[in-house]
Amino acid sequence: MSGAPFAFQLPEDLMAKEPPERRGIGRDQVRLLVIDRKAKKRLHTRFDRVGDFLGEGDLIVFNSSRTLPAALKGCAAERAPCIEARLAEHLPDDTWLVLLLCEKGDPFACGLRAGMEINFGEDLTGKVIERDERIPRLWRIGFSQSGTELVDTIYRLGQPVRYEYVSAPWDLDYYQTVYAQEPGSAEMPSAGRAFTWKLLFELRRRGVETAYIVLHTGLSSYMDDDLDALHPAGEEEYFIGPDAASKINRARREGRRVIAVGTTVVRALESAADENGLVASAHAYTRLRITESHRLKTVSGLLTGMHEPEASHLDLLTAFLPPEEIRGAYLEAVERKYLWHEFGDLNLII
Amino acid sequence: MNRLKDKQILITGASRGLGRELALDFARQGASAIVLTSRRAEDLEEIKEEIAGIAPETGVRIVAADLSRPEEIERLVATALSEFGGRLDVLVNNASVLGPTPMPFLLDYPLEDFREVLNVNLIAPFLLIKKALPAMIERGGSIINVTSDAGRNGYPGWGAYGISKFGIEGMSETWAAELEDSEVRVNRVDPGDMNTRMHRDAEPDEDPAEWSDPADVTEVFIYLASDESKGVSGRRFQAQEENWGLEEDLPSVETVAGGK
Repeated sequence: MSGAPFAFQLPEDLMAKEPPERRGIGRDQVRLLVIDRKAKKRLHTRFDRVGDFLGEGDLIVFNSSRTLPAALKGCAAERAPCIEARLAEHLPDDTWLVLLLCEKGDPFACGLRAGMEINFGEDLTGKVIERDERIPRLWRIGFSQSGTELVDTIYRLGQPVRYEYVSAPWDLDYYQTVYAQEPGSAEMPSAGRAFTWKLLFELRRRGVETAYIVLHTGLSSYMDDDLDALHPAGEEEYFIGPDAASKINRARREGRRVIAVGTTVVRALESAADENGLVASAHAYTRLRITESHRLKTVSGLLTGMHEPEASHLDLLTAFLPPEEIRGAYLEAVERKYLWHEFGDLNLII
Repeated sequence: MNRLKDKQILITGASRGLGRELALDFARQGASAIVLTSRRAEDLEEIKEEIAGIAPETGVRIVAADLSRPEEIERLVATALSEFGGRLDVLVNNASVLGPTPMPFLLDYPLEDFREVLNVNLIAPFLLIKKALPAMIERGGSIINVTSDAGRNGYPGWGAYGISKFGIEGMSETWAAELEDSEVRVNRVDPGDMNTRMHRDAEPDEDPAEWSDPADVTEVFIYLASDESKGVSGRRFQAQEENWGLEEDLPSVETVAGGK
């Protein structure tokens, strides 16, 4: 099944292998494809000029979740099998959904099973409870630590989740936005990566308002092409605080634009919105899948990365734009050699 | 006794000396949660127990961290923000190391020691501020950097330590200038001569009885951590001087400092 609005080939050289700072440009100097829906036009610029498309009264909503070093190495009893555990999601009962990858050979063929106890070091063990029903590559695990103690240990032991297209094992710092706060994301909420504080202050001086919510992101890949092609929507935890809710509601009532930085923000806000697009402060879980038929209630604009041909995020864009327009924009982006993935270029839809 | 009600505070170098006294007094003043950090967790257990006795309402989390390593600072901030639910009100950059003792002249200073001192005393506060700011920027907050007379005057033998404090002085001003449009205030405090282990190591021939007890210099820190100092940024305070060494009275300093 492919719910994506169209398929296209992403050439390998368009995958950003290095953070912009390691490609010789500033983090805010990535390229920006602006799609102006009202004016029905597209233009190409640089992200540090994003202020040209934002104005007084606009409210930009960020996801301030901090990226965890979510990849932990561990071994089951008697040192076998050894695995890499990628934390995908913290569940309400304090267990975690975790992608288990065998260190050697076929990533799923080393006898992964319920009942296994995995030793990660630093007094952290994890008991494999069961396989997840919805996303069968994930396992539910109960850790021997929880809360702040577990966060501390994860930081001692873990590495950021990295994919094969990056050219070096970049440090965790490269996987953080400059405004990251509470830890909890399996992968960086990367749409906001290009913001610098200088730019944020400048926008604020121009009367652009900002608000922060938290949605702890899950994994973007389960390292299984067939499963990834189905792009099953994971369940993600989000928090909208009273300050953010009141800023969002004020902007809605006053007819001002609410611009989401990242599809995670769209998911959280559209999950929390009532019929009039107003949101209440909330700590909840969402499995909302946004597609062409979704009527956007709160969000009026989106800053996002470039999405892969099969990514569910590409579906999400159809809530903003007809598929043929996305297709046109993406073909143009490929032709102009935009870069994809977490260190890549950006797309603003207003 | 509730000047720090609801405040969530991170203090580095909290196991002894000034950091320890700040932790105790911040708890006495009603801070809701304090993250204490030091190289070794066991050094902080006693102070955690002491706080539980004097201010049971104050939550205390111990995070052992080696501030000379950047990845440890990321862990410290992430752990603190996990504990605090993403909100930080006050950061006190107190931790510092003296370097080798007896204190060598710069001409004799080993490069490795020089680097270590700058890593802990200057780079770590820079990184801590950088990483902690997002949790302060929306609601406002207070950053307090501990400096020294050796950060204003060059003294023979105070080598890397003095240079790191010169750096703290400038860094505090730069942060304050960059954050002018925000509600985050950045100030520095010179606590003056204190009877601490570091000071005794630095000046073994001096009589420590002539120096103040660190418990007696905490008032200015409470003022800066509390809402009383809202709007006060980019200033240098001298804890043991009259009017905290300020040339003019700040809006709300007069009443508070008068009670010293």
